[in-house]
Amino acid sequence: MQGEAQELVSPEQKKKSSGRSLDVEDVANVALFLAAFIGVWQLIYVLGIYPSAILPSPATAATKLADLAGSSLPVGIGTSLLRLVVGFTISVALGGIVGLAMVKFRAFGKTMSSFAVGLLTFPSIAWVPFAILLIGFSDFGILFVVVMASVFSVMITTYSSLRNIPPIYIRAAKNMGASGISLFRHVMIPAATPALIVGMRQAWSIAWHALIGAEMLITTLSGLGYILSVGREFNDMPQIIAVMITIFAIGIVFDRVVFLKLEEKARDKWGLTQQR
Amino acid sequence: MALIEEKRIPNSTGLVLELRDVHKSFDFNGKAKDSASHHEVLNGINLKVKKGEFITVVGPSGCGKSTLLNIISGLDRPDSGEVHVERNGRLTSGNGVIVIFQEGALFPWLTVQDNIEFGLKMADVEKSKRSEIASRYVEMVGLSRFSQSYVYQLSGGMKQRVAIARALAMDPDVLLMDEPFAALDVQTRELMYDELMAIHKTTGKTIIFVTHNIQEALLLGDRVIVLSPLVRNIKREFTIELQRPRLADTPELQVIRRKILKEFEEDFRHAR
Repeated sequence: MQGEAQELVSPEQKKKSSGRSLDVEDVANVALFLAAFIGVWQLIYVLGIYPSAILPSPATAATKLADLAGSSLPVGIGTSLLRLVVGFTISVALGGIVGLAMVKFRAFGKTMSSFAVGLLTFPSIAWVPFAILLIGFSDFGILFVVVMASVFSVMITTYSSLRNIPPIYIRAAKNMGASGISLFRHVMIPAATPALIVGMRQAWSIAWHALIGAEMLITTLSGLGYILSVGREFNDMPQIIAVMITIFAIGIVFDRVVFLKLEEKARDKWGLTQQR
Repeated sequence: MALIEEKRIPNSTGLVLELRDVHKSFDFNGKAKDSASHHEVLNGINLKVKKGEFITVVGPSGCGKSTLLNIISGLDRPDSGEVHVERNGRLTSGNGVIVIFQEGALFPWLTVQDNIEFGLKMADVEKSKRSEIASRYVEMVGLSRFSQSYVYQLSGGMKQRVAIARALAMDPDVLLMDEPFAALDVQTRELMYDELMAIHKTTGKTIIFVTHNIQEALLLGDRVIVLSPLVRNIKREFTIELQRPRLADTPELQVIRRKILKEFEEDFRHAR
């Protein structure tokens, strides 16, 4: 018994070794990658393959990004994120409720899941004409597209995460007197959490795609997608590139910082992390 | 743990569990290998278990061990027959039977302490009382140091000790163990035998221990029950009165071991 306990790492040590704060090596790698990317860009610019009006230098794009950051960009980011958060929240609420109903009512779950899987592959941009005619050029039209794009992903995630809970947990919990709401709250939800986080991350990314597309096509005079389409209309390549960089950065921040952290935290706790 | 029905049965016999003529079949919806889709697993099992007894159940795979276990624990119902568990001096058909699964079935999202408290929480025991009980049992299995650890931080043997503590915390009438040590290495398993025997001695719990390991059954049980897929019932029963801890090479145990092996062989020949 003693020997057995000794081979174990204490919880504190474990935490330390699996801590994923940025270390010097990671930062150096990212810096190197960015330098190479900008270098290739600069090289193409210097070679003059494209006229400078069409392919600006990295410096021009950076200047434009700084300009925009002092003018329309902050409001654009704010508007887009607000739409994204509202749309995603509606999707989670709606998709979550329908997903639960699918688990509860077998036949409905079976029918609805094949229907939802079909709609999962449906391109979000294809909802745009429908949204324009149904709702018009407004925030609600954009929200509609965002919700339609991501709600089925949430639905399928909820359904499959709950159905794929290892039955042994349910059996053990029932044997210990859990049932109904308490079984759901104290066993099913936590047991499904790692899968739920993965699915929500995916739904968030689908919603983000749909949002930018919808903002470009459903003109409301605000949002990142709108600024991007303005750039095209005025042949303003620096603006296009500056907004693309912004969109990329926001995507990275949410995916890496918010969702990946949540996922890793859950994976650690559930002991799913590979030994490193 | 709802009581399905209560029956007043005079309980002067000291019985804690009684199975009467329990039948169970499974319907494979025509997917069975043979023409009959009806597959009988338990054919009228009768079993009486006295309070504090340590019973081991052995049998080759397919003998209905798991089915029997599910029925005793209330996770499954018999087609016919009765299962009675003693509660408050009466035999009732509810259940105070807690199962310890082979995989432990601990909840990875909870600490060791919270795992042990789980059943008490479901029974609405208040927080301070819960943690007091859990601390007592985590200490009994020698894991106080790890009470705030998560399941993945524990070794296989420690996980099973937590599972035992979690079951004991619910103060069950019967502790049902489903091949609890099958996934452990030999050395750890030996240590777990000692630990389990010590726990049995201190708590006086009734234990039904299901295994396919004959030696394990002989080392631990007051009574060894041999299930057979051939008769779909209890085929033989051996009472072992030797003091514990027992040595595997004790001549008496070797005799019984050969008898059980012979039964297994017979089942195997008929099955072919």
